[in-house]
Amino acid sequence: MKRALTNPSFLLGAGIVLLVVAAAVFAPALAPHQPTAANLRARLAAPFQPAYLLGADAIGRDILSRIIFGARISLVVGVASVAIAAVIGTIIGLLAGYFGGVLDAVLMRLADIQLAFPFILLAITVIAVIGPGLWKLILVMAFAQWVQYARIVRGQVLSIRETDYVQAAASLGAGHARIVVRHILLNALTPVTVLATLGIANNILLEAGLTFLGLGVDPTIPSWGGMLADGRNYIERAWWVSTFPGLAITVTVLGFNLLGDWLRDTLDPRLQT
Amino acid sequence: MLRYLLRRLFQSIFVLIGITLFVSFTIRLSGDPAVAMFQGASAPTAEQLATIRKQLGTDRPFLVQYGAFLAGLVHGDLGTSFRSGQAVSSAVASRFPATLALALTSLLLSLALAIPLGVIAARRRGSGSDLAIRVFSLLGLSFPNFWLGIMLILIFAVKLRWLPPSGYSGPDSLVLPALTLGLILASTTTRLVRSSLLDVLGEQYVTTARSKGIGEQRVLYRHALRTALIPIVTYIGLQFGALLGGVVIVEQVFAWPGLGSLALNAISFRDYPTLQGTITVLAIFIAAINLVVDLSYALLDPRIRYA
Amino acid sequence: MKKRILALVAAAILGFAFAQPSGTLTIAQAQDPQSWDPIDTFYLAWGMIGSSIFDGLVHRDLNMKIGPGLATSWEWTDASNSRLRFHLRQGVTFQDGEPFNADAVKFTFDRLLGPEGAKGPQQANYTSIDHVEVVDPYTVDFVMKSPDPVLITKLAGYGAMIVPPKYVTDNPPETFNKMPIGTGPFKVTEYVPDDHLTLVANPDYWGGAPKVAKVIFRFIPEPSTRVAELQAGRADIVQGVPISLADSVSKTAGVKLEAVGSPTVNALRFNTCLAPTDNLKVREAIAHAVDAQGIIDSILQGYGIPIASFQSSMSLGYDPNLKPYSYDLELAKKLLQEAGVAAGAPISIDVIGTDATNLEVAQAVASELEAVGLKPTLGTHETNTYYNDLVPKNTVGNLYYSGWGGWTLDFDNTAYLLYHTGQFWNPCYSNAKLDALLEEERATYDQAKRETILQQIAGIEHDDLIDLPLYQSKNLWGVADRVQGFVAPADDRNDLTNVSVTN
Repeated sequence: MKRALTNPSFLLGAGIVLLVVAAAVFAPALAPHQPTAANLRARLAAPFQPAYLLGADAIGRDILSRIIFGARISLVVGVASVAIAAVIGTIIGLLAGYFGGVLDAVLMRLADIQLAFPFILLAITVIAVIGPGLWKLILVMAFAQWVQYARIVRGQVLSIRETDYVQAAASLGAGHARIVVRHILLNALTPVTVLATLGIANNILLEAGLTFLGLGVDPTIPSWGGMLADGRNYIERAWWVSTFPGLAITVTVLGFNLLGDWLRDTLDPRLQT
Repeated sequence: MLRYLLRRLFQSIFVLIGITLFVSFTIRLSGDPAVAMFQGASAPTAEQLATIRKQLGTDRPFLVQYGAFLAGLVHGDLGTSFRSGQAVSSAVASRFPATLALALTSLLLSLALAIPLGVIAARRRGSGSDLAIRVFSLLGLSFPNFWLGIMLILIFAVKLRWLPPSGYSGPDSLVLPALTLGLILASTTTRLVRSSLLDVLGEQYVTTARSKGIGEQRVLYRHALRTALIPIVTYIGLQFGALLGGVVIVEQVFAWPGLGSLALNAISFRDYPTLQGTITVLAIFIAAINLVVDLSYALLDPRIRYA
Repeated sequence: MKKRILALVAAAILGFAFAQPSGTLTIAQAQDPQSWDPIDTFYLAWGMIGSSIFDGLVHRDLNMKIGPGLATSWEWTDASNSRLRFHLRQGVTFQDGEPFNADAVKFTFDRLLGPEGAKGPQQANYTSIDHVEVVDPYTVDFVMKSPDPVLITKLAGYGAMIVPPKYVTDNPPETFNKMPIGTGPFKVTEYVPDDHLTLVANPDYWGGAPKVAKVIFRFIPEPSTRVAELQAGRADIVQGVPISLADSVSKTAGVKLEAVGSPTVNALRFNTCLAPTDNLKVREAIAHAVDAQGIIDSILQGYGIPIASFQSSMSLGYDPNLKPYSYDLELAKKLLQEAGVAAGAPISIDVIGTDATNLEVAQAVASELEAVGLKPTLGTHETNTYYNDLVPKNTVGNLYYSGWGGWTLDFDNTAYLLYHTGQFWNPCYSNAKLDALLEEERATYDQAKRETILQQIAGIEHDDLIDLPLYQSKNLWGVADRVQGFVAPADDRNDLTNVSVTN
């Protein structure tokens, strides 16, 4: 931990993530305006003035307030989708890797199916059926991404299963559940954590992409991706509408990625050169 | 080797059936193509809808429709588009080159950027250039692709007028869309090259090679980089589906007439045969890429043999 | 003398040279309709191009005036209006040389009204016609099944475009879909789906050869990319400039922005079967809470016209005396209180997620409803799901977006489909008096009487608040300075015969 506190990657990454989390938690106290309150007279108000520090958007909403509240949505989208995908993927990967055989074959073919299906097309098809919405979006992302986790965990399990200490535990009469949880799961968690940190960043961007295609969440809910997609036509005219949410995404993604990098460098013993 | 190929082929068929079954089923839940034909123009009567459904064959049970699709697939027949009346196979064939050109160019572009940058970063780990490269690669991961595309259009097509903003009209029209995808892909790949190379450089046989007095350049390029490429190639294979997903959005931004726009339109028209056909071809393509990836391990690492 | 003759000859040669079509015009539009057969179509995107390939029996010009097209004149043959006779233009050929005559007209309508037409959406617009009879090679009779006061207008576009019998019969259906042939001023030479369609001038066009030699229509879905093509000097005309980009276009050198009032009205329809909007008082409160003029001035940048009923000012049935509800927050709050709607009551709004301007308008409306104490939520949907699933099944929210107009410029189109009991897109609202008026207006050819009835219908729509019309939209076109003679069409159907380009 001492080493972490002197590591610039960790400091910067953790600092950014903490800042974003704080913005999300204390949004109502921090935001100068209601994030959904339109003011048609303040349409595209310029930034750096007391009333609108970061300017106003096309329907006169305060961009700063929307960015602060937007932290909630972006975090929920990023963290929840990754958490669901990681949990499902880990369980499937464990089962497939540990028990092998037919179960493994079937689960891994399911994974192949997912991998061969371009995500955006999957998302559009599924959303056309179940309709749009924040949690549906999160579920679609999780549904498409469990595979990455399953494959990594399975790989880990295969390599750990044959190690001496797992063999030893088995010969001492430890049950399946105990072996899986105590000996294998804990080891497999490292790469999952790393992948998940990077996945959070990725999914914040995916939400923006889906909004671009018209499949995003309720546009009155401030989400960074939605703000960016809505602001793309104002780039020449009112740069602040998309630049500030874009910066928020960039900084947050940077934060999660730095943290992910640091985690990988720290947790992956092979990189301790 | 032959047994391995056969096994892979068998697995691919399983994957293909899974995907087509999923797509066919889901798209049929999403809406009725007979109704879709009337979008905003006039209101259909029940008899009219029934006639059109019969005509399109969508009145039959799902499994019958799916069976017909599979039967056609075996003969290379992907059915007829509900919307344009054209054979889906010819529509897919005419769109495939555009998507392939875009996907492969952006892939090559990303490798051309990522390998040198990754090597530099790994060799000078901790230096200023390492830091700069890592920041570059992190930045590339923090832009949505549509945003990067629009910015590139504004800079290189509108302000500088160096390149056409959109369309599929020649090599110059390929630059901006390929750059959009390539830059984003290069970010991840650069990181991977760096870490993978660092891994390999710490391994036994590299140390051995070094101790034998083999020059550093030779160690790096003949031994280390080759091995380090394995996870990178794996990653690219696994990410190809994601890359093609990115292609869908980039095709939309750049009005690129590829499979992505074909599939998007097919979904909005509820054109079942076109969507099934496009996804099938994409899936075959992705499966083929992954097979090539697996086979290329043997080239990269002589220790790997196929049983 | 000699000099004068020489000058005359030179002038004649120059004049002749000038009359030759020349130059290439590139037009970028959002959507590729995917099939060019007139009976398959339902898209304005088809009309933008179809009007250059095909002609109808009657022609509507850029001032929206009906005049002769492939028919030079027409009249009812009987007092009961059961037989409409058309005298056809002679010496017209299709672009492949096939002659245009009475047989072609009969073939076109047999096809539209028969099994081939039943596969497409256009047939439903022409079911008042029983059949077409050939009187002589240049005379046809339309035998009517039921009165259709909008028939003449409908013969000017879309499903009623005259198609070549031999070309259609001799080729498989996909050939005509892909390479259509008509009698129009331009002929299709190349079609690459989702990329472009190339037209060349038809020098033998009966209305005179067009001025431009070649027109390339490019299909570019993303609006900012479309505008970039114009700014980069690679497209001459751009359709569908979003309001958000209007400023960027008008500030670009060498390009101008043209705005034209369109027949489309953007409205929020009320779900009158869903509480609390089943209560007229609540609907009135919402109407008073929405600042339509404010939305037009700010979000629409003035590119919108205030409107009080679900039809444009060009439409038959438009009543200039009908005024939109006043913007009055206090009244709105009072009405809500009277209706017993508590503060914070949820109100759902559904919109299509792909149109940026509509989304902005919907968000402004949501914010205004929030200001009177309601708690709005906004759902965004894919176009197809929206029109074909949510609306017909009435699974939409309290308010739902609708953009409707109809190129026929007649309120009948909107009012019948949206207000008559049991219509596909009207799963909920029912009003016996309104139904009777709609049926009455459809049964007469007396346009003055129809106008009165349609205005009455608009009055009921307004008083009963079946929907809340927000504004009549203006279509924005970006046009490069090198283009001359382009008039932005109010009904989206381009007439490019008088357009020319300089280099």
